[in-house]
Parts: sequence; structure tokens; C-alpha cells
Amino acid sequence: MRPGPIPACAGIGLRAIHHDALINERPAVGWIEAHTENYFHEGGAAVRALERARASYPLSLHGVGLSLGSADGVDREHLARVKHAITRFEPALVSEHACWGHSGGEFFNDLLPLPYTDEAVELLARQVGEAQDALGMRLLIENVSAYVAFEHSRLHEWEFLAGVADLSGCGLLLDVNNVYVSSKNLGLDARAFIEGLPAGSVGEIHLAGHARNGSVLIDDHGSHVCEEVWQLYRHAITRFGAVPTLIEWDTNIPSLATLVAESQRADRLLGELRGLAA
Amino acid sequence: MASLRELQASFAAALRDDAAACAVLPLENLSIYRNNAAIGFRTALSLSFPVVRRRVGDDYFRQLAMRYRQHHPSRSGDLHWVGKGFAAFLAEDLQGGEYAWLADLARLEWSREQAAVTTTHAAISVDALARFAPEQLEHLVFTLQPSLRLHASDYPIFTIWAANQVENAPPVDQSMPGECGLVRARIDGTEVRTLEPGVFSYLSALAAGAPLGEAVNVAGLDQSGLVHALGFVFQEALVCAVTLKVGHAAH
Repeated sequence: MRPGPIPACAGIGLRAIHHDALINERPAVGWIEAHTENYFHEGGAAVRALERARASYPLSLHGVGLSLGSADGVDREHLARVKHAITRFEPALVSEHACWGHSGGEFFNDLLPLPYTDEAVELLARQVGEAQDALGMRLLIENVSAYVAFEHSRLHEWEFLAGVADLSGCGLLLDVNNVYVSSKNLGLDARAFIEGLPAGSVGEIHLAGHARNGSVLIDDHGSHVCEEVWQLYRHAITRFGAVPTLIEWDTNIPSLATLVAESQRADRLLGELRGLAA
Repeated sequence: MASLRELQASFAAALRDDAAACAVLPLENLSIYRNNAAIGFRTALSLSFPVVRRRVGDDYFRQLAMRYRQHHPSRSGDLHWVGKGFAAFLAEDLQGGEYAWLADLARLEWSREQAAVTTTHAAISVDALARFAPEQLEHLVFTLQPSLRLHASDYPIFTIWAANQVENAPPVDQSMPGECGLVRARIDGTEVRTLEPGVFSYLSALAAGAPLGEAVNVAGLDQSGLVHALGFVFQEALVCAVTLKVGHAAH
């Protein structure tokens, strides 16, 4: 019997450097999230490790390459590979990003920001809907960090995301660090973002660290979650309730014990919330 | 007002060329996306070709990656594929120069990368031959492990590869004789090893679908060579299935 749905507690991002330790030590984390594209291959150590880890922990697959907001359309071959990974690993959650990544046949392999316009809401919602139909499950769509804003934007980002969720039926993955990074880089109000998203729309939260380069915050997932982001997280779970919360750490990756300790802080805040609600 | 497609095309143009116009603010922050794309591409390439990077050094590898990306940008949302054309690019770009051998080394590394993520099938034992009559043996066709890749080079690429599994290894004398060998997945990792030229030719013929007799002739093996070569493919767990060539089925 495989682990069931993602529980409303903290999980950790699964990275190759921790495969063996996770399987051997089985730390007390509620669930794991893996980057879908890292497990597209038929064989190899990574897919074998995920098969084993997946037997012990509920699994979420988090994609970075579908480019659902590209006006040139969604790569059908990539979508088929995601579908294959879903069939193989049976994740309880599948998520992607509110972004684009290719134009004119060139892929930039980055989470590029969209202009917040009605046209972009409709295109992203349509392509999210097509992906959900092809994959046979509801997606969670994540807000991305931004370093620039389009002059053409006419909506707030939260209005944009709410529109996509409403039109496509998808849920939202709220990355609190991304909200913080974008708000600092673009002079926006992070709390207004969280208050602007519709209650009940958020199915998962991401937390991560960022770096500072001069006056710009860089979303590098390379350090501890900062205190300001923890405060925003507390605000978010007060508004959205206890939802599965992931610690992402992708560069300067620490020991598994450090990663697990970071996830336990999220669990303590979720526990406090439950205590307040009791 | 510009369409979404036009806005994305102008953003993409500005990622390729920092002089291109793009309606975003602050404009200078576009360099972050420009760097992300270049670094992501180069990092993926260096993960696929660690020995090429070690042999040429970080600075020259960065130049190679930049030139390669200009001609062969990423065509997939999955960065694992960016190295697919790197060996062919190096062969053309470095032709006749002091680094001409890098293309063969890159081919070997790409094969290793691909073999490492290919499923290993159950191998059959030499006992499988017992169900065939002696006169049928020359007509046997072997299905080999799908991860098997064979390489021959005018340069000592297997020696270079083996010597550079650590950073800052001393250089290998590129004037040493050329080498041939195999790459294949094993359940606990990937194997990269040289082969005797005769075994290499025989294995190459088998991998191309030639029946056993033809493979032995191509490789110029005598009776003892045949026994050795036949034993080799079974001992190394390379054979997944054996069939008779069409037209030579048992009666």
C-alpha cells in the first residue's frame, strides 16, 4: 500500500544529494516533493531512489518545465512525459508555475514572469485546463519570483492568479518567499498579496531562502527561510488554514538534518494554528 | 496594445541581445534572467560533460558553452537534453586544432549519461544456447543490453576519461594510441571500459544485428577467439535474448 494524500503538515523537497540518507534514515517529515523533470528517465539511480522514497512518504511532483503561460503553446512531448511520470509514481499532488519559458522555439529553462493582463489570464487558464485534462488531475499553480514587471500589466498578481484559478479550476501553490522577493524587488505589498488571494484557493505553500545582490533579492533557494518570510507564512496560514507546506532548498544544499529541522519550524507554526483553532 | 505573443517575443529577444527593447521595469533587472538562462544551460552541460570541463578548465568551458548555446539553444523544457548536440558541435568547432580529441571524449561522456538512465534488462545465461543445434549457432542473433554503447577513437579517450574522475588530474598524453571500448549500465552504476579491438568489432557487429557467424568473420576471430568472445557476452551479462535469424528456424 502506498502512502496516501499529502497531509497538512511540513514536507521537504527531495534532492539527489539526500536520496540515500532519506531512504536509510527515514526522518520524520510528512511528505516529499520531487522536481518532475528529474524523474523523466526510464532507468537510473534517481528513479530507483524515488521509487523507494515514494514507498515511505506521500509524494508531490513539482514541474518547472511545462511553460504553461507561453503564447507559443505547451510542448506536447513534455506534457506526455509528465503524464508518464504521474502514471509511474502516482503523486498525490502535481504542481507547476504561472510563468512562461519559451518563445520562437528557444527554451530559456527559467520561470519567466507574465504580464498581468486579461489576455494572459485567459491563455494561462486555457493551457492549465488543457494540461489538467491531459494529465487527468487538478494542478496547483505557483506564483513565481519576479525581478521585472511588464508595463502592460493591468491587474494585481493576486487578481491574475485568482482569475486563472477561477477559469481553469486549478488550485494555487502559494510560494511565500516568492511573494516576499517580488514585493521587495518591485515595491509591492506582500500582505496585500496574501489577503487578495481567494480563501480556499491555496492547496500548498512553499517556503525557501533567498539571496541579496545589491538592492535586488534573488530567489536562489540557498539558505534558511528568513524571519520576514516566516512572519508572512504565519499570516498566510491564518488566512488559508493549515495546508501542506514545503521547505525548498536547491543551492548550497545543507544536510538532511538541517532541512528536516527547517521543516519542523513550519510544523510548529501549523501546530500553533491548530491550537488556536481548538 | 502588444499581444502576449509579441511581449514574450520581445522579452526573448532582450534575453538574447541586451540592446533589444523590452517593455519591462526595471529594465536593468533583465540581466538576472539573461544570467539565469546562461548559467542554467552551462550548468546542465557541465553535469553531462564533467571530464570535458576538467580537461579544458572552467573559463574555456564557459566559452564553449556560450558558443554552443548560440548555435544550439535549448529546445526543451527539460535541461537534461541540452548536451545532445555538444559532441557534434565540438567536432566542427575544434576540427584540426589541439582540442580535436574533445569531441570523442564528449561522445563518450554523453553515452555514459544516456546509459546511466537506461533500464537494465535481465540477462540470459549461456545455457540458452543449448536449445539450438550446432549448425544453427552461426545464425544466432543476440539482443544486447539497451544501455550498451560502443566507442572507437583515434585518441586515448578511455584513459583520459578514467584519469579525470577527480578535479585537477595530471594531463594524459594525447599522442598515445587510440582506444575502443564500451559504456553500459549496471544495476549499481555505469561501466566504462576498453575492449580488445577484435572483441570490439565482434560486439559492434552483434549490436548492429549481425548473426554470430558474421560477427565472428567481421572481427577476424579464430576458434579460440570465438570461444572467448562468445563467453564474454554472457559473462558480462550483455545478452538479453537470443533468436535465430529469419530463414534459419529449427524444423
